Amino acid sequence: MNRRLMMGAAAAALSVAMAPAAIAQDGGYTIGVSNTVQGNGWREEMICAMRAQALVEPDVTGLVVAHRNTDSAGQLEDLNNLIEAGVDAIVLNPSNPDALNSALEAAMAAGIVVVAVDAGVTAEGAYILSNNQEEYAYLGARWLFEQLGGQGDVVYMRGIAGVSADTDRDNGFKRALAEFPGIEIVHEVFTGWQQDQGKQQMFDFLATGIPFDGVWTSGIDNVIVDAFIESGAPLVPIVGADNAGFVGQLNSVEGLEGAAVTNPGSVGGAGIALAVDILNGEAPDDNTVLVDPVLWENVTEEGRATLEAAQNPNLDPEWPVSVTIPGWTDYTMEQIIACEGPGEG
Amino acid sequence: MSFVRRNAWTLGLVALMVVLLGVTRLIQPNFGVSGLESLARAALPFAFATAAMAVVVIVGGIDLSVASMMAVCSVTAAVLMQTMGGVPAILITLAVGTLMGLINGVLIVLTRVPDIVVTLAMLFVWEGTALLILNSPGGIAAPFLREAIAGSVLIHGLPKALILMAIIVAVIWVPLKRSKLGLAIYATGSDENAAFRSGVAVGRTKAAAYAVCGLFSAFGGLSLLALTGIGEPVPGPYLLAAVAAVVLGGAVLGGGIGGLLGPIIAVFILRIIRTILTLAAVDPNVTTIVEGTIMVGVVMFGAFLMMRGRSPS
Repeated sequence: MNRRLMMGAAAAALSVAMAPAAIAQDGGYTIGVSNTVQGNGWREEMICAMRAQALVEPDVTGLVVAHRNTDSAGQLEDLNNLIEAGVDAIVLNPSNPDALNSALEAAMAAGIVVVAVDAGVTAEGAYILSNNQEEYAYLGARWLFEQLGGQGDVVYMRGIAGVSADTDRDNGFKRALAEFPGIEIVHEVFTGWQQDQGKQQMFDFLATGIPFDGVWTSGIDNVIVDAFIESGAPLVPIVGADNAGFVGQLNSVEGLEGAAVTNPGSVGGAGIALAVDILNGEAPDDNTVLVDPVLWENVTEEGRATLEAAQNPNLDPEWPVSVTIPGWTDYTMEQIIACEGPGEG
Repeated sequence: MSFVRRNAWTLGLVALMVVLLGVTRLIQPNFGVSGLESLARAALPFAFATAAMAVVVIVGGIDLSVASMMAVCSVTAAVLMQTMGGVPAILITLAVGTLMGLINGVLIVLTRVPDIVVTLAMLFVWEGTALLILNSPGGIAAPFLREAIAGSVLIHGLPKALILMAIIVAVIWVPLKRSKLGLAIYATGSDENAAFRSGVAVGRTKAAAYAVCGLFSAFGGLSLLALTGIGEPVPGPYLLAAVAAVVLGGAVLGGGIGGLLGPIIAVFILRIIRTILTLAAVDPNVTTIVEGTIMVGVVMFGAFLMMRGRSPS
């Protein structure tokens, strides 16, 4: 009997000690954020863009961030917790377009504004602000195939099997492939969007000695260039995303031909801006806002100038260099690098 | 008194859960029925994964392929429900789950390769199988399945998801525990040699325990489908969470000790902690550290009490 009491007392002490003060609500908006990939440069930039934008929005006084590695069921849990936390709007990067509807519908029924960034959701009434992923893959793949003269063998380095962004990109890639019958895929792998894994896979493939003419990557790019350099293999054209490290290589690595397709993680900041607009009664006419990617290559004079202008030595090499989205985000470069939001514990 | 003594750990967990619910209420005064319902729903896949893990831990093994089997079952059911009724699809899925568990168990018994190695290998096999069935999230869930876990039942504030889970676990576990097989499972877990010499068919018992693990994993997969409405081929974070809940719930890795009630209460404790951390807007990079620290703290504190209780005073 005694034992039970002691255990309870200890548990109470433990939990009280770790529970900080409740979220401050000074009349402004509190915004909830939900994200399911942690420790990835793109997603970290997205989270920092959200924090920075929330900081500069005068109407936002609090930000509750649920940011961890989990699946759709885990994101449902986080979304329900955000609803319980009494937020005014939820900005989320959905793990799946269909899986979250029950929580999103409950949120909207409670008067919470829902904005999905990066990928879409099918819940009626939710706003979607995203990069066009199919177009992303199509642009890069088409450039690569043209660069090879429509003839050659390509290594296809994808993201995570079964994730919708990867599926959308695969559709775009296949669309470009269909236009170039002379192009063959000699090797297809899933990098899991992990730098070390992608690099190892490239080392492994280079070691086989199978010849190939180009590489398309789903954003794990600078380590692929590193793998070529470290193993002394002759460089082939490489397509990646606008990650700071890769953009730097496109500017500086001798003999590297390549292209970076923009995929700004700062859509997160734009999502916060959109949520505040809607809360203030300035909703856009259409529920879906698409941000189209652009391609920066280093084989023309004009392309090189764009690439050089985009570079910033202070950025994390895994972050996309497109840290702001004109017309949407209001924070400064220093604010997104500082990565601090309003009223966070 | 002997009831309290025998169930000290479980009762302690219940007390801890009540305290944590109180803390939740303190941080968010509006936390009420809808909060409890979403908590019960969120706990559902974790509860089944934990029940699955607990059975094989009690028999003295461990199954690292629980999350992958859940993924296989979730996509199997999601695909089947596109072409057939919900009930046959559920029955087939449960059979598939049991079969997968049985394959794990038979491989362990026949090859004599350690459980951890066999199920680690099977983790990858089942993961690939799930992707073969459905290479990207898709399929559908029967509407009744989705409704089965939404809202309350009987009285306002008694979540359907909780009742459903309790019934399923009780219907499978209570008769099993009291049967000859249940006794054999505990005996094998306590001391395999002694069980063998006492006439327990050790190999068959182990294989059966793994099959039950597969059956609970199938319910876990179905609960994922019920939650999200689609089948997801990529396994979620259920493996380590299940091991954690089993240990926190008072089962001993090594076998022979523990039940299912403690681990399932532990699941709720871990979910409430997650809710509290979100409500309190704790830095997300700190939350996993806090979760891990609480877990090891509670287990150490419990072990300390057990030791004190055992030594003559």
